[in-house]
Amino acid sequence: MARPSTYVGIENDVYGAMTTIGKIIRDAWVFELLPETETCEGWTQGQIDVLLDKVNTEWDKYGCLASHLPEPLRERHQRIHDAAIAKAKAAGWSGEHETIDDK
Amino acid sequence: MAKTYSAGVKEYRETYWEPDYTVKETDILACFKITPQEGVPREEVAAAVAAESSTGTWTTVWTDLLTDLDYYKGRCYAIEDVPGDDTCFYAFVAYPIDLFEEGSVVNVLTSLVGNVFGFKALRALRLEDIRFPIAYVMTCNGPPQGIQVERDLLNKYGRPLLGCTIKPKLGLSAKNYGRACYEGLRGGLDFTKDDENVNSQPFMRWRHRFDFVMEAIHKAEAETGERKGHYLNVTAPTADEMMRRAEYAKEIGAPIIMHDYLTGGLSANTQLAQWCQNNGMLLHIHRAMHAVLDRNPHHGIHFRVLTKVLRLSGGDHLHSGTVVGKLEGDRDATLGWIDIMRDSFIKEDRTRGIFFDQDWGSMPGVIPVASGGIHVWHMPALVSIFGDDSCLQFGGGTLGHPWGNAAGAAANRVAVEACVEARNQGRELEKEGKDILNAAASHSPELKIAMETWKEIKFEFDTVDKIDVAHK
Repeated sequence: MARPSTYVGIENDVYGAMTTIGKIIRDAWVFELLPETETCEGWTQGQIDVLLDKVNTEWDKYGCLASHLPEPLRERHQRIHDAAIAKAKAAGWSGEHETIDDK
Repeated sequence: MAKTYSAGVKEYRETYWEPDYTVKETDILACFKITPQEGVPREEVAAAVAAESSTGTWTTVWTDLLTDLDYYKGRCYAIEDVPGDDTCFYAFVAYPIDLFEEGSVVNVLTSLVGNVFGFKALRALRLEDIRFPIAYVMTCNGPPQGIQVERDLLNKYGRPLLGCTIKPKLGLSAKNYGRACYEGLRGGLDFTKDDENVNSQPFMRWRHRFDFVMEAIHKAEAETGERKGHYLNVTAPTADEMMRRAEYAKEIGAPIIMHDYLTGGLSANTQLAQWCQNNGMLLHIHRAMHAVLDRNPHHGIHFRVLTKVLRLSGGDHLHSGTVVGKLEGDRDATLGWIDIMRDSFIKEDRTRGIFFDQDWGSMPGVIPVASGGIHVWHMPALVSIFGDDSCLQFGGGTLGHPWGNAAGAAANRVAVEACVEARNQGRELEKEGKDILNAAASHSPELKIAMETWKEIKFEFDTVDKIDVAHK
């Protein structure tokens, strides 16, 4: 299979988008850096890197932890991530996948 | 007709089998598990192993008069059945200390696991244990700093240390790799770690990685007020290049570096450990290739031997297996080599696979590292099994958190502190683990999500290499 040159979009990502890029996009939705309708389909690696920098800047304000977010943001984080976890589980993702290549 | 074994001019047992021998305090002792070729008497093959791992190859070339054979030869002084396995037996061999160069585990292994492993009288051979006499231990440098000095350097006491192997997940960029380190450290880990396969490939050269990782450490330390570290992997194609990377790590302020002691080689490891000792650096040791040597119950080198060898060669951390989780590891055997890593004196204990008393004198201990296939639900058992002087490394169990790396780190930090607090209150961790974690999760959303992520996992792999009493 040819390696894609652009991102497949969060709706088409593997493991119900419980992936590094999926997490970046969801956090961008939380911080309203992107509208929740933006799936990033067709984005290049460079575009993702730019988005990651912006997401990191936001997280740095709160020590990188959801439990440090102010109330409106925390609710928004919870809503977006709860839905993502439910969707990923429905797509067959589980924590076991995360430890497969552990050494 | 198949060719059968023949000793040649003189049977080995005439020279190397001495059941009346009294072991000296200065002897290096070894226990081999021998699977002989059919029809070869036990005493003869055991004597052959003693010969071919000591002076046997010399005396066939020179005469007994030119080498002081009685002084330098290895002697098989005892033979025992292997419980539950009649295909093999244990042979105990004593070697005079002067057979080996001082401070050189390389020399010891070259003899004990050298040509003898290809010897024709054997079907298989396994080095089960070695007793290093205190006189030999004192010629070796050992761990660069040791457990207490590491705790003082980090200013961290009374709990296991937490770590995580960082995977280069986003485009193999050193900058993004450094960011992942920062998030883990910021979330509550003490250490992050280079993957052992990450050395200095074209996609991420070592210097670039070291720079971004140190930036991450400085940022996390400034924000948390804690000392942090990352095991910068200095394993390299040559010892000179390894030292160049170690020097640079020191120059930029890294507190700890990492080496793969088996693939990198014991000479390089001993050199690096001595340099770390002289330069105030901690040394984390990875054990890639160990399973090639230690997994087969009948052939190779048991990990308890590799553990002793590392303690003598030098390292402050050594991967030990996890007991719980998805990776190989018999509980009793693992507890045996954890004792070998940390304690000053380890008594013979066959229930843990320890064949000899081992006195380390004042040689510092090594921190066992439980790494791989573990997550927050394993924390109560890990704290109970490994105790405080350990490093618990959650790779997927950190980076796989649905909320990201910092959340995964925070979940593990909250869990370990809750378990330590409960243990200190006298609660039984392995019985009450679920209640302890649930109570902690009530004030940590990161831990709550981690527990929901991993709660359904069951690990049901059997271990291949067990203590011999458990074989049948």
